[in-house]
Amino acid sequence: MGRRALRIRPFTWTAAIAALACLFGAAAHAQQPVCSAWLIESSRFMNVPFGAFMPDRAFVPGSTKPESSIPTVDLPVNVGVIKCGSELILYDTGWKQQEYLKMTGSDHWAPLPDQLKALGFNAADVTKVVIGHAHWDHAGQLSDLPNAVLYVQREELRAIEWALNYPEPHIRAINSDPGGCYRTPACGYMPLTIEEVYGKVLKGKAVIVDGEMEILPGVRIHPAFRAHTAGSQLLEVPTAIGKLVFGSDAFSSYEAIRDWMTANVQQTDTVQQFLAYEKCYKITGGYNNCVAAHEPLSYTDKYPLTKNSWVALNGGRMAEITLAPGEKSRKP
Amino acid sequence: MPGARSLLLVGVVLALAATMGAAWLHEMRPQSVVKPASQTVSTRAEKPQSPALTADEERFATALWAVHRDATRSAVAMSFAGIAYQTENRDARALARSIEPLAKFFHDAEIEVRTMSPPPSLSKTHGQYVEAMGLYANAAAEMLKFTEDGDSQRLDVAHRLDVRASEDMLRVGEVLWPGQYKPH
Repeated sequence: MGRRALRIRPFTWTAAIAALACLFGAAAHAQQPVCSAWLIESSRFMNVPFGAFMPDRAFVPGSTKPESSIPTVDLPVNVGVIKCGSELILYDTGWKQQEYLKMTGSDHWAPLPDQLKALGFNAADVTKVVIGHAHWDHAGQLSDLPNAVLYVQREELRAIEWALNYPEPHIRAINSDPGGCYRTPACGYMPLTIEEVYGKVLKGKAVIVDGEMEILPGVRIHPAFRAHTAGSQLLEVPTAIGKLVFGSDAFSSYEAIRDWMTANVQQTDTVQQFLAYEKCYKITGGYNNCVAAHEPLSYTDKYPLTKNSWVALNGGRMAEITLAPGEKSRKP
Repeated sequence: MPGARSLLLVGVVLALAATMGAAWLHEMRPQSVVKPASQTVSTRAEKPQSPALTADEERFATALWAVHRDATRSAVAMSFAGIAYQTENRDARALARSIEPLAKFFHDAEIEVRTMSPPPSLSKTHGQYVEAMGLYANAAAEMLKFTEDGDSQRLDVAHRLDVRASEDMLRVGEVLWPGQYKPH
């Protein structure tokens, strides 16, 4: 009897450990927050030639094909606002207008703190900022979020520094016209933006990320290197409507993700951009929960995730994507 | 009854005539271009554009651009020197090696830009750019002092100077190089 008991014991222990693991695993899963999410139109680039944004949608005069019939589009600059319990996270931060509005041909800009206030949030309460990449129109206004910790990929910083020190002047150029850069490796990383990134580092409020990182239970950064820039990164967010993936300019266009077209090629390896699309399909089960940064159809029924929208400050739009249980609507 | 039949007949004839008239009008009207609804709409009123630069202003903008192209790169390089110090090595000597050429660049750039002769209409813009170069030079000097005495307050001061200089450069860019940054 004693021998039999000894023989059974390892099995019993194994079963007990397995049961406990299942129990704790389920408990941990249950503890994952379900987050709420909104989208803010930080500004809008006006009258951009469609072909400059999506080469396969270039306007062809006289063409009767629907995909070639649109000359220009207005591109929103979208910022994700994510609330998970007491944590308030921004994905991208738009750009900070000083006195250079006409440089970009943009409209509808309003300060991010004011836009957050219109949603009922305080800029000082933002705890985390994940930038999809460090281009000037996605990583601005960081100094207006004094308590937020910035998450940026080491690969992004490394690639900018490499380009800055490259001997060929076109490859290290930062400014566009006249005769400057256009889609070259250092293009678009302007001094004010990078100085604000440095400001976060200096204040000890930056996390330099190497690849994948879970920043809250279930809220996960995924690298998407070269999907738009060298160190692009996605953000997976668990919500009541399933997982969302915010993609910044790796997901510049919802239509591009849906139709498998490249969009907004800058420092982009288009193969990597398609792999980033695939990652969203795998994580979310389709294309509808992929959150795009510049989709012209944003805030309309044609981009269903963003259709619950309204016009807010200075004509900029906002959308309530999904609410966690108990979270009240912030739509006016 | 015959009266009712006549009325019905007249009604039918009138309806047919109205339909034909509407069809004729539709055919005669010029065809409008069909636009997909939500992607082409750009309803804002055109904003007043600043007047184009004069020939003298263009010459000044071109001359300053040669400095500006390198100043922009050097400004970003200064931020990166700070980032590298904080996140990688904490090596004051390496920081000094990175900053020294930038300090010289901004010092020289301030002198070079100051000696330029802008047209009177751009004297304020010129002054802003001179000030920006000076602020960057001072920021670099503060960072170099930090590499000598280790006083971290100097890095905060340098950062504030860099931000002011960056904003000044943007203000000048608004006037001289409005196509400087594209949507990215």
